[in-house]
Amino acid sequence: MNSLPWLSLVATVALYAGAKRLYTKRPRIYFSPLLTVPALLASLLLTTHISYDTYHSGTQWLNLMLQPATIAFAVPLYKYRHLLKKHAVEIIPSVFFGSVIAMVSSAWIAEGLNIDKQLVGSLIPRSVTTPIAMDISRLTGGVPAVTAVVVILTGILGSLLGPLVIRYLKIDSEIARGVLLGTSSHAVGTVRAFQFSPTTGTVACVSMILAALITISTVQLLLPVMI
Amino acid sequence: MNRIGKSAVQIAILCGLAFLSNFLVAQFSLPLPGSVVGIALLFGLLQLGVLRLEWIESGANLLLAELLLFFIPSAVGVVQYRSLLFSHGIAILIVVVAGSVVIMAGSGLLATQLAWTRRKS
Repeated sequence: MNSLPWLSLVATVALYAGAKRLYTKRPRIYFSPLLTVPALLASLLLTTHISYDTYHSGTQWLNLMLQPATIAFAVPLYKYRHLLKKHAVEIIPSVFFGSVIAMVSSAWIAEGLNIDKQLVGSLIPRSVTTPIAMDISRLTGGVPAVTAVVVILTGILGSLLGPLVIRYLKIDSEIARGVLLGTSSHAVGTVRAFQFSPTTGTVACVSMILAALITISTVQLLLPVMI
Repeated sequence: MNRIGKSAVQIAILCGLAFLSNFLVAQFSLPLPGSVVGIALLFGLLQLGVLRLEWIESGANLLLAELLLFFIPSAVGVVQYRSLLFSHGIAILIVVVAGSVVIMAGSGLLATQLAWTRRKS
C-alpha cells in the first residue's frame, strides 16, 4: 500500500509528459494536457477505489511547486516592463472592467439558475488565481475547496474558449489578447497566451496579477449587488 | 555547470523566494498570498540589480513551461465533489462558459477600443 503515493506521482508525471507530446503533435483543444490527464487520473482513482487523499499524499509536492512557478512570472514581467508601462493606460482599465464583470456575472448567472447561496459564493472568485480565489471565497460565503475546483475548470474552459472569442471578435492586438486571457482565466489562460507570443503572455500575466488585486480589493463593495 | 544543474540551482532559488514570501506574509500578516508577494519581491530584486536575469531565467522558463503539470493534482481533486457535479454540473458549466465569454468580450473589446482612441489622439 505504501507504494501507491509514489505510483501516483510517477503516473501523473508520465501521463503529463505523454499528453504534452501528443498535444504538441496534434494541438486540438480536447487533447489539452490539463483536460486529458486529470480526466484519466480521476477515472483511474474511481475504478481502482484509491482515495484522493492517497493520491494527494504522493503528488502534493507538485502542488507545492505551483508557488515558485507562479513567482517565475516575475521574469517575463521584468523583461517586458517597458512595454507594460507603455500600455498601462489600456491594460489597467480593461482588467478592472473585466474583473468586475467576472464577479457580477458569475453571481447573477448562478442566481438566475437558482443555485444555492454557498455555491454562488464559491463561484464568484472563479476567475482569479487559486490562492486568492480561496481567500475571497470565505468573504463571499463560499467553500474554498469548491472554489479551487471551479478555478481550475475556469482556467481549462477559458484557455479553450479564449482563442475562439479572439477569432470571432477579431481581436488582433497582442495587448487586448493578453488582457482577455489573463483577466478571464488566470495562470492557465496565461500559459495559453504565451503560445500566441511572448508579448501576449506577458500582458496576460500582468492582467492575471492585476485581476487578483482588483478582485480582492473590490469584492466587499460589490457584495450588496451580488448576493 | 551543465544546463540541468544550472536550472536546478535556479529553481532552488525560486523555491527559496517562495519560502521567504510566505514567511513575510505570516510575519507581517499581509493581506496577500505568498505568490503575489513573491512576484513583487523577485521583480524588485531584478530591478535593484541584486539578482541578475541570467541567474534565474532558465530555471524560471522551465517552471513556466511545465506550469500545467503543477495544476493537475488540484484538478484531480474534482473526484471529491462527484455528488456536487452530478447535481449542479450543468449549472456550473453554464456559469463558467457564459461568464467567461462575457468577461473576455468586455475586457478584450475595451482594451482594443482604448488602444484605438489612444492612437487617434
